[in-house]
Amino acid sequence: MMNFTIIAETNGENLHPTTYQLIGAASSIGSKSIVICPNGKAESEAASIEGVEKVISVVGDCFDIFDGGAWSTALNTVCEGKILISASPNGREIGARLAAKRNIPIIQDIVSISEGIIVKRPIYSGKAVETLTVSGDAVITLRPNAFEAAELGGAAPINTVNQSADIKISIQEAINKASERLDVTEADIIISGGRGMGTIENFSHLEDIADIVDAAVGASRAVVDEWGMPHRMQVGQTGKTVTPSLYIAVGISGAIQHLAGMRSSKYILAINKDPDAPIFGVADYGIVATWEEAIPALKSALSELKS
Amino acid sequence: MAYEALDFYDVDSLLSEEERMVRDMVRDWVDEEVIPNIENACREGLFPDEWRVALGEMGVLGAPLKGYGCPGLSYAAYGVICRELERGDSGLRSFASVQGSLAMYPIWDFGSEEQKNHYLPKMASGEWIGCFGLTEPDYGSNPGDMITKAEDKGDHYLINGAKMWITNGTIAEVAVVWAKLDGVIRGFIIEKNDPGFSAPEMKGKHSLKASVTSELVFQDCKIPKDRMLPGVKGLRGPFSCLNNARFGISWGALGSAQACFDSAKEYAMSRIQFNHPIASYQLVQNKLAWMLREITKGQLLAYHLAQKKDAGTWIPEHISLAKMNNVDIALEIARVARDIHGANGILDEYPIMRHMANLESVKTYEGTHDIHNLIIGRHITGIQAFTREA
Amino acid sequence: MNIAVLLKQVPDTTAKIIISGGKVDENSVSKWSMSPYDEYALESGLQMKEKNGGALIAITCGPDRSKKMLTDAAAVGADTLVHISDEGVSDSTHVQQLLAAAIMKYEADVVLCGKQAADTNAGSTGPGVAEILEATCVTLVSEVNYTDGKYITMRPSNTGSEKVSTQGTSVFAFDKGTVELRRPNVRGIMMAKKKNIESITSSDLDVNLNNSNINLDSQMPPPEKAAGQKFEGAEHVSTVVSKLRNEANVI
Repeated sequence: MMNFTIIAETNGENLHPTTYQLIGAASSIGSKSIVICPNGKAESEAASIEGVEKVISVVGDCFDIFDGGAWSTALNTVCEGKILISASPNGREIGARLAAKRNIPIIQDIVSISEGIIVKRPIYSGKAVETLTVSGDAVITLRPNAFEAAELGGAAPINTVNQSADIKISIQEAINKASERLDVTEADIIISGGRGMGTIENFSHLEDIADIVDAAVGASRAVVDEWGMPHRMQVGQTGKTVTPSLYIAVGISGAIQHLAGMRSSKYILAINKDPDAPIFGVADYGIVATWEEAIPALKSALSELKS
Repeated sequence: MAYEALDFYDVDSLLSEEERMVRDMVRDWVDEEVIPNIENACREGLFPDEWRVALGEMGVLGAPLKGYGCPGLSYAAYGVICRELERGDSGLRSFASVQGSLAMYPIWDFGSEEQKNHYLPKMASGEWIGCFGLTEPDYGSNPGDMITKAEDKGDHYLINGAKMWITNGTIAEVAVVWAKLDGVIRGFIIEKNDPGFSAPEMKGKHSLKASVTSELVFQDCKIPKDRMLPGVKGLRGPFSCLNNARFGISWGALGSAQACFDSAKEYAMSRIQFNHPIASYQLVQNKLAWMLREITKGQLLAYHLAQKKDAGTWIPEHISLAKMNNVDIALEIARVARDIHGANGILDEYPIMRHMANLESVKTYEGTHDIHNLIIGRHITGIQAFTREA
Repeated sequence: MNIAVLLKQVPDTTAKIIISGGKVDENSVSKWSMSPYDEYALESGLQMKEKNGGALIAITCGPDRSKKMLTDAAAVGADTLVHISDEGVSDSTHVQQLLAAAIMKYEADVVLCGKQAADTNAGSTGPGVAEILEATCVTLVSEVNYTDGKYITMRPSNTGSEKVSTQGTSVFAFDKGTVELRRPNVRGIMMAKKKNIESITSSDLDVNLNNSNINLDSQMPPPEKAAGQKFEGAEHVSTVVSKLRNEANVI
């Protein structure tokens, strides 16, 4: 039986859900996990997950701020064999450092793993999928939410190791600011409203959703023209052409000019009260309902997911 | 969205790497700055000043001219620039044609050393806009009978008359104006603030709405003696300018045609009627195939003409043929594209009607379609058919 | 100051990707471009050079076609163009080794690159190269300034963003920033055309590329999306949200 080294990631004092997914992925191919907890955070939580053989807490000053160089130096001493990390920005950076340190390859952002070890990862922004066979040691990062999470139910021993490493980045100033609303051409999720929203004031409900999922707010030409919304919000033939991972169209019927600007989105969710609206023809998921009914439900479902 | 140009015969692969880099530079700029703003410019009826600045910064004005701060590119590069600009809008290409071929070129070819040093660097950088005054209210296809005249008053010239249909007139710092001095056509450089000179804008156009079109009015306009272009007399002056501008138009019209083709193709693929995209119907495919055929022929024509221009083996009739043909097919392609778009084709959501209306002007200016036919007719038969008087 | 900018040529993000015989068909790519995040690294490098003096060394590791991208970089101001042949390269560790060796050969003081390339979207290059160089690395930066021997940059944090500084050899991996990218102009293009591209190989750099234990089995089109699913009534919103997470994997 093969073990995976897993680098845990935390969300405040708790494990990030992706850590459960890393362990779940290892278990899915019959492997045990040795979980490394940077600075000992959430070590007992990690020890209680099914499939974990051992938890190693690496403790030291070097974890005070994020410096991928210092972190990977400290973590490297207890890593072995094949290493799984979340494909979060920090995970990717630590992974790349560890791979280079150990002179082993790295495969980032896989979405599937099977025995062999055979992994798949999307390339060209999902326009193709690559299958790779890993025959030796390697670092592999896993796309968040693409793997089944492991369940609680274990009692692994916890070892604590003290490590030191030089932090070479110093923080001059922390700037707290609410992240600015993204532009429709940049956002990974867009929520757009059309005439079905009734009035311009009702766009505030779309803004609320956008706040939860860090989305941009878009609009159809009809409302940009009639309600005087900024042209930069307009999606469609004469507005922006967008290709987000998720496009949520609310109260937009789906005129050909609107479809021209958003039909290449990876996934489309349409909310419209008219079951025959053309937007449903391009939607992956459609909900036939008024926005007044659907938006509050969407808001609570998304808040729950994000909490 | 990256623009994927229709280039069925891979004609652009014949361009040099430098020419392709210039193409990509202009193409990207048109995609990012022109196409998103053109409808607004048309609606407001103005030529955005940022475009003047950007053309100057890119360094494409007066493209084929060498020295005096000019780019020194090939005619093929100049053609490609015109094509990419006109894919945005004919008004934009008109601006560049007038600046480069009609205002800078005569100073470059026929001007004194002082005139060249004074005007060309600032015109190449876009700081000074130029215009070109040949056509008059009553003399269009027949410029030889112009009535604008210049008189030698010893220490200055006095200009009287009027010019019409002058692109860039109102916004120009510099006008190259053709007038008769003792019955001989000569070129004069008029500056914006010369006394007795005014350039009121012509309003109410349904075509080239993002381009400024003006009258030039000279009422005892007094200019210094050093403003006459010393290097040319007679119609050869303005006609050499027009040859270069017409060359640019032969490329530019293809840009309009390609924009219309692209829009028609995209629309036909996504418009569903009778349960299928209209692109799956034979009549629509026939139209698209015809468009591609004409554009491809036009591209080959334009490319070969550029080679002849760069090699110096061209005659004016070659340019007439290309200007006439490529504008003609572009206009017809715009009309067929409108047809494919159905009612949607009349909306400003699509570029079709704008290009169509623009091309009606392009067909007429710089030698009308019919005049170019007569130029070629004279070449074939040796008999001029412009006038009944020999 | 020698500023190295690492660039990668990728299919334009809007280009169609066609698979043939279990591999992406590179010949069918209609347009190759500089990877978008790399453009921000390049712009920042040019600004750094303008402020502090020095030379900008544009380095890429890839097939011959990527030389065109170096010429594009020269058109906006890159001084030295270095093309490392990708012969024998079979994984990203190889690429990092070659890039790091070239950075040392050209004696760069600071290294700028994109946070990830638009083809694999991996994000290994910056930190991996930093590791080999024993350099500091800051990722997801939007601008870098050099003052009083320190590099000052901004990176995102849990609460917004933070201003951080580094000293000594540093690698910065750029996210899309707010800076406006400069356009080439005709003068730049004419100079770029004359600029020599220094072509080097792994043996010129004394890098031995070991046998990779990663094998590329195939590249395939993504699985077909299921047909659209339509639900009547707002009570299905939570079902759809869980499908967005578990089926579509987009939230």
